[in-house]
Amino acid sequence: MKYKFIKDLTSDVAFEVYGKNKEELFENSALALFDIICEIKKVRQEKEKNFVIEAEGLEDLLVRWLEALIASVDIDELFFSKFEVKIEKNKKYKLEAKAFGEPTSTEKSGTVVKGITRYKFKLEKTKKGYKARICCDI
Amino acid sequence: MKEKLKQLSDYEWELAKDVREEMRVKAKIIANKQIIDTAEDTAVQQLTNVACLPGIVEPVIGMPDIHWGYGLPMGAVGAFDAEEGVISSGCTGFDINCGINLIRTNLTVSEVRPKLRQLMNELFSRVPCGVGSKGKLRVSEAELNEILVRGVDWAIEKGYGTQEDKEATEEKGCMQEADPSKVSSLAKRRGAPQLGTLGAGNHFLEIQQVNKIFDKERVKHYGIEKEGQVTVMLHCGSRGLGHQVATDYLHVHEKAAKKYNIKLPDPQLVCAPVKSKEGQDYFAAMKCAVNYAFTNRLVMTHWVREAFESVFKQKWEKLDMHTIYSLCHNICKKEEHFLPGTNKKKMLYVHRKGATRSFPNTPVLIAGTMGTASYLLEGTEKAMKETFGSTCHGSGRTMSRHAALRIKRGEAVKRELEEKGEIIVSPGFKGLAEEMPQAYKDVDAVVDSVAGAGISKKIARFTPLGVAKG
Repeated sequence: MKYKFIKDLTSDVAFEVYGKNKEELFENSALALFDIICEIKKVRQEKEKNFVIEAEGLEDLLVRWLEALIASVDIDELFFSKFEVKIEKNKKYKLEAKAFGEPTSTEKSGTVVKGITRYKFKLEKTKKGYKARICCDI
Repeated sequence: MKEKLKQLSDYEWELAKDVREEMRVKAKIIANKQIIDTAEDTAVQQLTNVACLPGIVEPVIGMPDIHWGYGLPMGAVGAFDAEEGVISSGCTGFDINCGINLIRTNLTVSEVRPKLRQLMNELFSRVPCGVGSKGKLRVSEAELNEILVRGVDWAIEKGYGTQEDKEATEEKGCMQEADPSKVSSLAKRRGAPQLGTLGAGNHFLEIQQVNKIFDKERVKHYGIEKEGQVTVMLHCGSRGLGHQVATDYLHVHEKAAKKYNIKLPDPQLVCAPVKSKEGQDYFAAMKCAVNYAFTNRLVMTHWVREAFESVFKQKWEKLDMHTIYSLCHNICKKEEHFLPGTNKKKMLYVHRKGATRSFPNTPVLIAGTMGTASYLLEGTEKAMKETFGSTCHGSGRTMSRHAALRIKRGEAVKRELEEKGEIIVSPGFKGLAEEMPQAYKDVDAVVDSVAGAGISKKIARFTPLGVAKG
């Protein structure tokens, strides 16, 4: 399982996301996010957008990655359905990613995600890899 | 936490300061027993979190539409001392100046109903709705900066509204001392293409009829003459620009809270001292988002007027389509208020999250859901003395979006509402299921609570004829 939505909040949407490594966790988090924003299964991969993000910690990197994707929906007017993420750690964590999708359209629109919250936010290493809990403000 | 609430009257409940060790002040909830019985305990807990912050002024207030929200619950007010307190991007939340415009017409239901589908389609084509919707206006960076500083004055100069609209807008459509240099270029890039768009989620554009008049004298003041008169309600906020301002300053305030040794009872309640650079930078940026949202709703009001002109073949002025009022219900404002229970006044930073200003002889607009009522209320002296001049904002959710999706499909929600005579237009069905009327509290009970508590008085009730949702 890549991610699952959690029954927790009345107004917002929370999900738990999994990955066998950090990169897959970040890719699956982005998939869950776009499952809220649009009808992700219908989104073709005809456009590509690159992202480079740095952060002090892995948790902060995950938040900033999802925030950058939310902003990209407005600025680049794209819905994404596939992600390729690379993460390096030197002094800071650095993410380089490619996101693939198509121009936004009302026909495939879902819900506006206003932001990524800190509500019960958690990123942890597990026996199988990584797990995170993320809540989106709707 | 709910079990610790002490009932003060039919509509007032109190959480004493000692229910939790770190609380600096008590909390109060305005609601009837039925609402208290079904309220989320987590939302009540959130009130106590805010009561732990430095400079908080007694009491932290929960309104009858209270539900769990980001940091401060939706339907709540947190007021902080303007000298010793904090200003909190976490308390204001993501949708800065989410608010409501109410526009009247001189048309009646019998005149509108035969053309309702045509009207809804016209509105839907003129007012962009949904996540992927694109605005018809593309403003330059210089123009956007002007909008952030001048608010609705920019729209009026461009022909998207009138001086009369401005007079009928909270803050006259422009908070002073907004500073665009405190708004990131990312926020501006998000906002530039979205001016005049509705967005999605709980935002809507609704054709309504006056269903009941409670105060025959006061209602005339707003140009409402009879039941069956048609009005338009617009519910929207500051779009991506406001969301990005919030996102940017949540990071700033996270660091500021550490820098100023502010102990946060909840990591969502990030904040900065009111007199700090981080606090005042946020306030200046937030005002930009507020001004953007006022302008956004006025531009959409213009397109609503154009849609009516196109369908009814008359100028909007002939249709008497004046703004009854435009207000915000997600905001932080510097206001002077009585310290509740005293005759002493103090300057405060009042955070209203899903809460509306409730000043005497001033309109209060309460949004319902697709299948229920909305209200025009007025503020009262009691609100000035007991709730920092504040009241509720809407119904308040009781069901999660995923629970709603499991209960009913959007197609069924649309069919059921249309069988009752409403017309629903939306780019998709998922949002309709998430926003089904059953997912919300009974708006009549919410309004009865604020009226019963004396913090607002009822003027008129409206029911939907047609709804456009993103």
